[in-house]
Amino acid sequence: MQTWRVIDTGIRRAAENFALNRALLEARKNGASPSTLRFLQFKPSALLGYHQSAEQELKLDYCAEHGIDIQRRITGGGALYMDETQFGWELYLHKSDLGSADMTAIARRICEAAARGISSFGVDARFRPRNDIEVGGRKISGTGGAFDGDALLYQGTLLVEFDVEKMLRCLRIPAEKLSDKAIQDARDRVVNLKDLLGYAPPLDEVKGRVQQAFAAEFGVKFEPGGLNETEQKLFREALAQIDTPEWIHLVRKPQSDLPILEAGQKFAGGLLRAAVAYDRVGSRIKQTWFTGDIFVNPRRTVADLEAALKDLALDKLDETVRGFFAGRQVDMLTLTPDDFIAVVKQAVDSGR
Amino acid sequence: MATVRNCNLPDDLYYSVENNVWARLEADGTLTVGMTAYACNLAGEVVAFTPKKVGKEIEQNKSVATVESGKWVGPVKAPVTGEIIATNDAVAAKPGTINADPYGAGWLVKMKPSDWAGQSGSLVTGAAIAAAFEAKMNADGFAGC
Repeated sequence: MQTWRVIDTGIRRAAENFALNRALLEARKNGASPSTLRFLQFKPSALLGYHQSAEQELKLDYCAEHGIDIQRRITGGGALYMDETQFGWELYLHKSDLGSADMTAIARRICEAAARGISSFGVDARFRPRNDIEVGGRKISGTGGAFDGDALLYQGTLLVEFDVEKMLRCLRIPAEKLSDKAIQDARDRVVNLKDLLGYAPPLDEVKGRVQQAFAAEFGVKFEPGGLNETEQKLFREALAQIDTPEWIHLVRKPQSDLPILEAGQKFAGGLLRAAVAYDRVGSRIKQTWFTGDIFVNPRRTVADLEAALKDLALDKLDETVRGFFAGRQVDMLTLTPDDFIAVVKQAVDSGR
Repeated sequence: MATVRNCNLPDDLYYSVENNVWARLEADGTLTVGMTAYACNLAGEVVAFTPKKVGKEIEQNKSVATVESGKWVGPVKAPVTGEIIATNDAVAAKPGTINADPYGAGWLVKMKPSDWAGQSGSLVTGAAIAAAFEAKMNADGFAGC
């Protein structure tokens, strides 16, 4: 049986966490590191995906006023907020550990294993494409990755006793998403281990469950370790680059290229509203928020649909929405899939 | 046109098999560089593309651009050393073009190679393409495009 390393780097600034991302990925690629599971935590920070722009994604004034660090990840995906009430897990692997180079399949395999670790607490955690882990339609973990040559880093979060309101206040989202009701709705769409279990389990226990699940999935055992000399050197070099305004603002795009466009329409099945963060340059829907006076059962359907519409080319909207509803049993009175399409298009058109 | 496990790999191009990129030698001695159809298939739909800046000298096997697909971020690596002389703005605006037309409209950067005669021997072209990619796909456990 192969032995992989497990490292816990504790609570750190985001710059240090991402410098470690780069250092450990580089070291794994060069054969200077074994395959590794790392646990990490963050001081309060608003974190951009690699290709995102701070101006487009974050409320910079709010972050500055509240002492929230802003940093850019080396991995993909969307902006998020991390603090001590969540933790992160990361795998640094070689493609030969996986027997596949298909990135979608690798992400699924890792997420499904992480979900089994969470499920070992007696809850039903599942992988939700494209990159989330959820329990009963509520997100408990978001994930993303980076690769270089045959080495890869895949990372995820895990909510233990997190209040999503803190995240909403850092992100550039429609103002009405900060109303009491909207914040409650947002809370309903994520879930903490504490909510599910009635108590916050000790972090070491949660990490142990995740570690056991990865050990079982990959048929390996884990041995605790620290950073070797090569990794420490690479870490210092990476930190000198990442802990700078140049890295944080590596991608700069004006807010006007990513407006948040809104529309609402009264259908026979109720009032449906959509707010769409729309990438004008690439004609892509970056994110959609549905609200309104509608009845949809199961309730998770709306959150699932929002997830399915993330980062979607506008010309794929119709087929994606119809394909989404074709695959499931949903009761929404007289509201139809085409009503969702119509209100999203109306929002996008309002910005043209 | 070579086809390996249903992936198109035009045989007039030069390939860095390890980096899964292609290069076309243009009449003026410059190179056009992009991802192979195989690389596109492994990545899934590309949703973001950020090239290095025009004028920058990039060493062989170092990153000329960064792409993102399905929340994975990774580098596209230079097949040979050279200066970036152009980047594809149309692809930056619509990265899905890379998947739709990897050898045409989906090109990524143009380079002026600094030592084509010395370095092009590390690339494969023509009749050698099929066996080289067959071996890579085998190592990657890849079923087909």
